[in-house]
Amino acid sequence: MTYALFLGCKIPYYVPHYETATRRVLGDLGVKLVDLEFPCCGYPMRHLYFRSYLLSAARGLALAEARGLDITTPCKCCFGALKRAQKFLADKPELMAEVNAELAADGLNYQGKVVVKHILQVLHDDVGLAELGRRVVRPYELLRAAILYGCHAVRPSEVTHFDDPSNLHLIDDLVKVTGATPVPWAGRLSCCGAPVRERNEDLALATIRKRLSEARDAKADILVIACAYSQMQAEWAYSLAGPPPQREFIEGPVLYPQLLGLAMGLSAQEVALERNTPNGEYLLSFLKRD
Amino acid sequence: MFFDLALNISLAALVLGLAYRLWRWLTTSIGPDSRNYTPIERLSASLKGLGRALASRRALPMLAALLLDGLLQRRSLGHSRWAWAAHMLIFWGMLGLIFLHALGPLIVPSFTATLNPWLFLRNLFGAMLLAGALMAMWRRLRTPGLRRTTHWADRAVLGLLALLVLSGFALEGAKIISVHSFDSMIEEYGTLSEDGERAALGQVWREQYGVVFPQGQVPPGLELMEQGLELHNDSCVDCHDRPQWAFVSWPLSRLLAPLAAWLEAVRAALWLYYLHFLAAFAGLALLPFSKLLHIFTGPLLLTIRAAGSREAMDPAARALVRALELDVCTHCGACSVHCSVAEALRHVPNLSVLPSEKLLALGRLARGTAGHDEALDVMRQGAYLCTSCLRCTRLCPVGINLQDLWFAMKDDLAEMGYGPPVREVAKRADETAGDSRNLVPIHLGHSEFPRELGLTVQAETFRGCYRCATCSNSCPVVFSYDDPVKELDMLPHQIMHSLGLGLSEEAMGARMTWYCLTCYRCQEACPQGVKVADVLYELRNLAAARQGQGESC
Repeated sequence: MTYALFLGCKIPYYVPHYETATRRVLGDLGVKLVDLEFPCCGYPMRHLYFRSYLLSAARGLALAEARGLDITTPCKCCFGALKRAQKFLADKPELMAEVNAELAADGLNYQGKVVVKHILQVLHDDVGLAELGRRVVRPYELLRAAILYGCHAVRPSEVTHFDDPSNLHLIDDLVKVTGATPVPWAGRLSCCGAPVRERNEDLALATIRKRLSEARDAKADILVIACAYSQMQAEWAYSLAGPPPQREFIEGPVLYPQLLGLAMGLSAQEVALERNTPNGEYLLSFLKRD
Repeated sequence: MFFDLALNISLAALVLGLAYRLWRWLTTSIGPDSRNYTPIERLSASLKGLGRALASRRALPMLAALLLDGLLQRRSLGHSRWAWAAHMLIFWGMLGLIFLHALGPLIVPSFTATLNPWLFLRNLFGAMLLAGALMAMWRRLRTPGLRRTTHWADRAVLGLLALLVLSGFALEGAKIISVHSFDSMIEEYGTLSEDGERAALGQVWREQYGVVFPQGQVPPGLELMEQGLELHNDSCVDCHDRPQWAFVSWPLSRLLAPLAAWLEAVRAALWLYYLHFLAAFAGLALLPFSKLLHIFTGPLLLTIRAAGSREAMDPAARALVRALELDVCTHCGACSVHCSVAEALRHVPNLSVLPSEKLLALGRLARGTAGHDEALDVMRQGAYLCTSCLRCTRLCPVGINLQDLWFAMKDDLAEMGYGPPVREVAKRADETAGDSRNLVPIHLGHSEFPRELGLTVQAETFRGCYRCATCSNSCPVVFSYDDPVKELDMLPHQIMHSLGLGLSEEAMGARMTWYCLTCYRCQEACPQGVKVADVLYELRNLAAARQGQGESC
């Protein structure tokens, strides 16, 4: 299991804990991650500069292809943008030809061979639930988890192929294997508000606040996230929300590799829980005691 | 006399230039949080912070940064090994030459430039500097990512370094063959009693030191060598090792030998001497006004960086450091070569997308010379295409915290009314749509429009819309507002339907088009297979293109 790690632009500065936990957990599970100097997936450019988006995404895909590697990314928006670009290019051969002519200046070529997977797909399908079950040495008890599936992974399903669109279960399976209990809640398939933040900050904030309240209403203990943008949104909302007693939200957002890593016996530092906003170390109290 | 005058003028320019730069660091503000600090406050906060850091445990990392990042330039290895090698050659070559030309005679008693090891070292350092400058020039010409950000100033600095070394080698080569030099040395240091002795010494210097005498001055044979060597040992050998040790200038002198008479006639050695020292003094005078300044500011910033995080810094000190950073940039291009969004340049021909060019734009912005609206529009586009991926900050060989500068730049631009371009495009689209929105009945127009929506294959899918409003009923944006039609102008199904009617401006101007969360619920739900979210994406692109804010093709 070797993948080129497409970290995306947001993780290094805004969500470094995601990188720490992802590398550690995937590494421990035998997934080899290769670092290439990837460009932006193009997602942020797509609103105004479609061709730039497509070219940037295609460059990333071509870089992995040149090395004969498939791509895995922790970010749902990078995932969606890359998958979308693959579909755009596959659907329209003349677009593919134009993009390849532009890539040729750097000696690159995209042929559509590279497979793009989200890290959760790698965990679910490549590592497998059985192996994960074996590696969970310290399961959670009585931990109710609200899962945010992530728009750009789930939809459009004909493009992303993230999971079975009529019966999404992939993240539920991954949460169950840690001993936590996924709870039904209103915001499971809803948007975190990140994509509109630059265009309408109020709407972006209202959207993530709604998610956090919905999760609290469902009596969840944590919000499970596996996307750089959703985590940024949730942390932004918490940073504006003031100290814990006044909060109308649930305890906090946790990135899936952090959740899994702790259950695999890793320490809070090894999955960088202290970097979460709010500090994610409360999660430790849910781990089964010997 | 002329030498001293030129030296003093260039030293004065150096000192005044440095003072001017210091004043700029104390007065230039980047980011709204940098204003409101007097120069005194900035200086005292910076000195206090530096003092505190030096007295604490941070002193060791600061020293390490100075040695590893400053002297050994460890950080540029992250950019390119070739860039590192070129710069190490230039840096150590230059340092060696400065020692041999300016400091050696002051520090080392009995320093003689024409004796080893100095004779040899001078050529070695010169060759290093020249090789480094040539490598750097080659990279700037051959690396595509570097070529597009190379300015005349980058070439000029490398050219000046090359001129400095080449004129030095040429000068040394010309002096080796020069009879004039030979005679003036006899005059100054020799104790020759008769004319025959000059011929004898001349034979030694012709055979062993490469002086090229005009025909008839020194007998062609070797019969006077014995006498010559005696004179040579008495007067010359103490100050002159064999010129073959000057391993660059010596072969050069052999190449020049056939031209010796002509070179002597035009006094080439004298002119080369002027050229050489004037090039050196020009470098000295230009130092504060060019990127050469990084010789001082680079190590300073690298040390400051190691003292603590930018966030923890006193705001007054941070204001100074940000201004300093503008003057630390060497325009080496590492940031731009590795920039995550550099691909955008292909369709958005705006160089200020690239960090190295954006920094220059920021300098103009901070000094109030940014100019007119159009220039600010360009800057805004560059500032907002950046994804804040941190790569440039991690790579910068001189340790500029570019990420911090980009955030401050966005704040400055926003204060001047230049927020995200996407908002501006939305606003203008709304204004365009405003007029026809108020007309009853709406006039249909722009029948050409549907043909413009052709970026992707599904653009035409809006034709399948039969206004069932499934999209609008699944839209979280619609459900975020109490009166969505009033606050969004049109709902998704209305936009899809209006496209079929050719109401392009209304569709592009609708706030719904701009508030779309891109969650794709609409598209997933549409029973007719209309790619609602993707069509909205295209509408935003189209609006930008129509306003001249989009891509060039």
